[in-house]
Amino acid sequence: MKAYQADIAKFDSTDTQVFGVSVDSPYANREFAKQLGLTFPLLSDFQKRSVVKDYGIFNEEGGYGNRATFVIDKDGIIQHIDEGNVAIDPTAAEDTCNILSHKKTTTP
Amino acid sequence: MIKKAFSFVFLLAAASIAVAQTPPPSPTPAKAPPAAPHTNLKVGQAAPDFTLPSTIVGADGRGVRYKLSDFKGKKNVVLAFYVFAFTGG
Repeated sequence: MKAYQADIAKFDSTDTQVFGVSVDSPYANREFAKQLGLTFPLLSDFQKRSVVKDYGIFNEEGGYGNRATFVIDKDGIIQHIDEGNVAIDPTAAEDTCNILSHKKTTTP
Repeated sequence: MIKKAFSFVFLLAAASIAVAQTPPPSPTPAKAPPAAPHTNLKVGQAAPDFTLPSTIVGADGRGVRYKLSDFKGKKNVVLAFYVFAFTGG
């Protein structure tokens, strides 16, 4: 999450909202955000794990979501996916957002 | 003599059966670690919608909930899934 915070201005400049998502409670996440000085919201999929399941990254054994990054455009379409340790580096997501910011949305 | 030959054939048959039944040495299967789940979502597909509570506290002192589809037509969204709070990355 630190790397995303470090590059938050880049995401802002491409009209992009960044969310961190985990199965932690909002209380745990607030502490975590405070520790790291995060300015973007962290979302808590702690009740049903329905989002990590919907996104296909739920680890049954551990009861958590695997590391992954999804870039979604203004039409709600997935434009980029990073899975595993490569998702720690926000560079690819940034590049995608850069391209998207130069593209016109089809949603009125 | 006939009896001896007979028992020889019998022994031979028994031996060949024993050989046939010995399973070929099989390499011990390496225990594969449980595969990490991979998303079945693909680029070009609609992102599943959701509403989730967040770390952001609203003016009313309550946690703000975010709905993905609220950003439609407004902003791109990056969802950075992490394993657990207080872990690296």
